[in-house]
Amino acid sequence: MQSKWDIGEPEKPTINTETEQLKSDLLTLNMGPQHPATHGVLRLEIWTDSEIVAHAIPHLGYLHRCMEKHAENLDYRGIIPFVDRLDYLAAMNMEWTYVAAVEKMLGTEVPRRAELLRILVAELQRIASHLMAFGTYALDLGAFTPFLYAFDEREKILRLFEEVSGARLLYNYVWVGGVWNDWTDEQLVRVAQFCDVMEEEAKKYNELVSKNKIFVERTANVGVFTVEDCLSYGATGPVLRGSGMKWDLRKNKPYSLYSEFDFDVPVGEGEEGRPGDCWNRYMVRMKEVIQSIKIVRQVLEKLEPGPIMGKVPKIIKLPKGEVYVRHECPRGELGIHLVSEGEKQPFRLKVKSPCFTHVSMLPHVAPGQMIADLVATVGSIDIVLGEVDR
Amino acid sequence: MSTIHQTGSVKDYFCDLISGITTTAKGMWITFKYVWAVKPVSIEYPEVREVLPERARMRLFNDVQNCISCTQCAMACPVDCIYIASEKRPEGEEIKKTSNGQPIRLKLTQFTIDTALCCYCGLCTTVCPTECLTHSHDYEFSQYTIDSMKYDYLAPDVIAWRDRIVKA
Repeated sequence: MQSKWDIGEPEKPTINTETEQLKSDLLTLNMGPQHPATHGVLRLEIWTDSEIVAHAIPHLGYLHRCMEKHAENLDYRGIIPFVDRLDYLAAMNMEWTYVAAVEKMLGTEVPRRAELLRILVAELQRIASHLMAFGTYALDLGAFTPFLYAFDEREKILRLFEEVSGARLLYNYVWVGGVWNDWTDEQLVRVAQFCDVMEEEAKKYNELVSKNKIFVERTANVGVFTVEDCLSYGATGPVLRGSGMKWDLRKNKPYSLYSEFDFDVPVGEGEEGRPGDCWNRYMVRMKEVIQSIKIVRQVLEKLEPGPIMGKVPKIIKLPKGEVYVRHECPRGELGIHLVSEGEKQPFRLKVKSPCFTHVSMLPHVAPGQMIADLVATVGSIDIVLGEVDR
Repeated sequence: MSTIHQTGSVKDYFCDLISGITTTAKGMWITFKYVWAVKPVSIEYPEVREVLPERARMRLFNDVQNCISCTQCAMACPVDCIYIASEKRPEGEEIKKTSNGQPIRLKLTQFTIDTALCCYCGLCTTVCPTECLTHSHDYEFSQYTIDSMKYDYLAPDVIAWRDRIVKA
């Protein structure tokens, strides 16, 4: 007798094609948004075949703060605190880029001392940002100690910035027409002392991490971006230079007073692995720290007493028009596109962020990697999600 | 899978092993030196406190006796966290002066700052003509509710902070 629950023979699963079968083996994993290896709130949707990544799809927008739209309702001075929060690890460079865009439209002459102080803070900020990148990258790969050493040195820079601007991370220091506060001689002496200490420390970091066999094995020949990849995606900064292309806006399109300075542009030379891999990208940052120290020392020689603020109207109204300014920030080229309709507020503010470009390269390089190597790749492009999502 | 490391000869294997041990030992030696050669850099926070720099931007404080209700701070604020209300003085009332000699023509009836909204950018303090709005050095002011982060600087208990937190 047939039971009423009996529904007959179950249907046999049919396998149509070979690809279908392969797809069924893929496991979808979410890395992030809250994951220590993604440096913020990046969510990577990873399709894995056992431990090998088949696809990695970045999902953005977890830190979107609507900054560009918000800026349309603010006066030009009030935007500076918001620009700070783009790349919160290199706020000085962000401010400077934005302020340079406003000054270019306003036609303001910036005093020489102010320009030099801007270069000083920008280069110190670059060192601080690269130290952070170094520390967290070692942390990603399982070494905890370099993180503490890097933070020890970074603290000295932050302390200087706190004394001169009043804040440790979001400074609001670079103003339209100049800088907010002047540096005292005592502080400049401390900068010189820091340069000496940092040079020694950089050598120590190289001994400790860069030449370590375990570190090299984890990073060399992993996550290779060729120069063609970088150019087609629009990568800039240490990612492009790590691939072996000598492109630095401070050298190639000198802005501010950078043409007066003598420094090299480090590129990935492939001492370990080959140009374009994680190790070379990392090493470019370590070499840039040395070059930044070189620039800071030259700034200290060139500094002379003088005014730090140019003539700026009390209420800034930009003429009709638009401007695009790009600067070399620690993570790459930051571009600010500012459109003005002659009002007190900008008509449009568009930020071209380097990290966004670099995140978009992940799906290109991820297939075929192990998950642990993907962590190494994400760490080596050194993204800050505040800048990706804006 | 081109990125997976392919092991080479036996010689390579031992070379890798030796360089792994030597470079790790070098790193261990660098960290080991910290045992005696480097002083500790951390401080035990609640007991030991770092002295903040002169320009440090912490909680805002408004000295209402010197405020002329010009609302420039509220206009400069990028997040609009300063609420000011004022009214005309009644006829015949004596017009007081601020500490730097400016007459206080309007009577301040409300001066509230939403500290939870404040972004500590310092723009309001730079535009203040009488320098009554300043960043104090007070940084421990956590609260249980977000409403209690709104400070009414005309309230007597908040005025009483003046002796405690205004920069010398």
